[in-house]
Amino acid sequence: MTVAVQSPKRRRRKLRTGSVILDVALAGFGVVMIAPLVWLLSTSLTDPAEAFQIPPNWVPVNATFDNFSGVNDLVPFGQMALNSLTVSVIATVGSLLVSALAAYGFSRFSFRGRNGIFIMMLSALMVPAQLLIIPVFILMRTLNLVDTLVALWLPALIHVFSIFFLRQYFNSIPRDLDDAAKIDGAGHVWILFRMIVPLSAPAISAMAILVFEASWNNYFGPLIFISTPENMTLPLGLVTLQDAQGGVAPTGVFAAITLVVLPVLLVFLLFQRQFVASIATAGIRG
Amino acid sequence: MTATTLVPASRASGTESQHRGRRRQEWLGYLFISPAVVLFAVFIGGPFVFAIALSLFSWDLLTPAEFVGLDNFVTLFQDPVLFQAFGNTFIFAFASVVTHIVGGLLLALGVNRIASRVVSYFVRTAVFFPFIISWAAVSLLWQYLLDPTFGLVNHYLDRLGIQPPDWFLDPSWALPAIIGIDFWHTLGFTFIIMLAGLQTVPEHLTEAAKTDGANRWQIFWNVTVPMMSPTLFFATVVTFIGAFQIFDPVQIITNGGPDDATTTLVMYMYEQGFQAFQIGYASAVAIIVFVVIMLVTLLQFWTSRKWVHQQ
Repeated sequence: MTVAVQSPKRRRRKLRTGSVILDVALAGFGVVMIAPLVWLLSTSLTDPAEAFQIPPNWVPVNATFDNFSGVNDLVPFGQMALNSLTVSVIATVGSLLVSALAAYGFSRFSFRGRNGIFIMMLSALMVPAQLLIIPVFILMRTLNLVDTLVALWLPALIHVFSIFFLRQYFNSIPRDLDDAAKIDGAGHVWILFRMIVPLSAPAISAMAILVFEASWNNYFGPLIFISTPENMTLPLGLVTLQDAQGGVAPTGVFAAITLVVLPVLLVFLLFQRQFVASIATAGIRG
Repeated sequence: MTATTLVPASRASGTESQHRGRRRQEWLGYLFISPAVVLFAVFIGGPFVFAIALSLFSWDLLTPAEFVGLDNFVTLFQDPVLFQAFGNTFIFAFASVVTHIVGGLLLALGVNRIASRVVSYFVRTAVFFPFIISWAAVSLLWQYLLDPTFGLVNHYLDRLGIQPPDWFLDPSWALPAIIGIDFWHTLGFTFIIMLAGLQTVPEHLTEAAKTDGANRWQIFWNVTVPMMSPTLFFATVVTFIGAFQIFDPVQIITNGGPDDATTTLVMYMYEQGFQAFQIGYASAVAIIVFVVIMLVTLLQFWTSRKWVHQQ
């Protein structure tokens, strides 16, 4: 047992001499991984006449913000950013609401067909989105919702994995708490939203990150549903900007990519631990 | 209520009032799950059944659909592009699994031993950064990075004395290039899974092996790998399923070319369904993707159950 309790600090000191090479090698790998992003940032700030030189510029040459100001002239970039935000926020809040209600139902009530319905929903995790998109497209066409933001967030309101994940979490919250609240006169809605949801904050935030990120980065859905630039979200907007290259200097494309990438990276740096936890617990690959 | 219910929720039944309370309970349960059930029926369950039905029809969205039975599948099995797409998808998924599992595991082992906290934070962040960027941004960036005239990668390969190919125009290099980009993009995911798995290897086992005179290599193969086998298997399955649906970078960078060298199954489904408007045929292609994913998932389910029993 003494071996297992050995402090990590002592181990660290013992390894120090041998591991300098390892540290340097891994740091080098980290530099290689991040180099494309450094180049992206540097190029987006470089004077177009000086950009894309060989050997490459790792710091901006004749640094300028002009590349950024041109982006909005070519595509409605601000509108696209707003669309991305609208769709992702509605999808995240809406799907978590639906999932929390369903998870509470599955966790706290017993009714005929409960396990059957639950298992049926779970098996849908095997069904790839690409199989469903053709019928959903036909449905949206019938409802006249093609080329609207609704087509992007409405199908995202059902997120089976969140239901499963929250139900597991709710099950781990003792029912004695429910009973105590009921004796105090609380109803189910109060118990769910004032007690169980706050107690499940780690699970809720993990799912929120997962859904938001998937929605924010979604390219396939917009590609199928959206055709008007004013209705596009950022990922599809970026690609159309690149294709409409008649007027765009590559530095303009780089500025646009930077505008899309940078906020995400900053948010990630702020919430790194939650991001990593959401991946490690959910194990869903984007 | 069957005896196999997972959650002990209902109280013991007996008197009449309790019985009435239980009825109310049932009704409330349905109420709480109803939004999810309706959305599920409209956007998952219904479309699933509809997609299977569609695969039995020939339909271009404009003229009336025509029932053709299994004709779409018969045509599929004689379609050389489908075979090419199937091969490309398998090569991509296989390469993705091998590179990610080996790379992710080695990286996790290394990062676990890093002495400096700063270096550890830097490496973890640098590896994870690309994963949270959208495929659209990644694809555009790498188009420039791999450009034959002003791309960084070719410049540095040149310096190392390697004659670089024209990646996306060379049929034998386009798919490997996408495999490489995918490695950069999703290594962070596998790395996190591996790092979490590594924490589950009990330290007293490695310490005991060390005391018994085992070297690092022996500890790795005889302690770490067996203890991590559930993680390794899980990561393999998840990576395979994700890679099997690869679409975004292919559509953005090469559009399936050159000469279908990068056409994957989902890319082919997209071409058939949303460019050629062969809705029935595209559904049949999507069903093939579904069947492969289902088989892999069931395999995972079945084997992980066996593992649980062994432990």
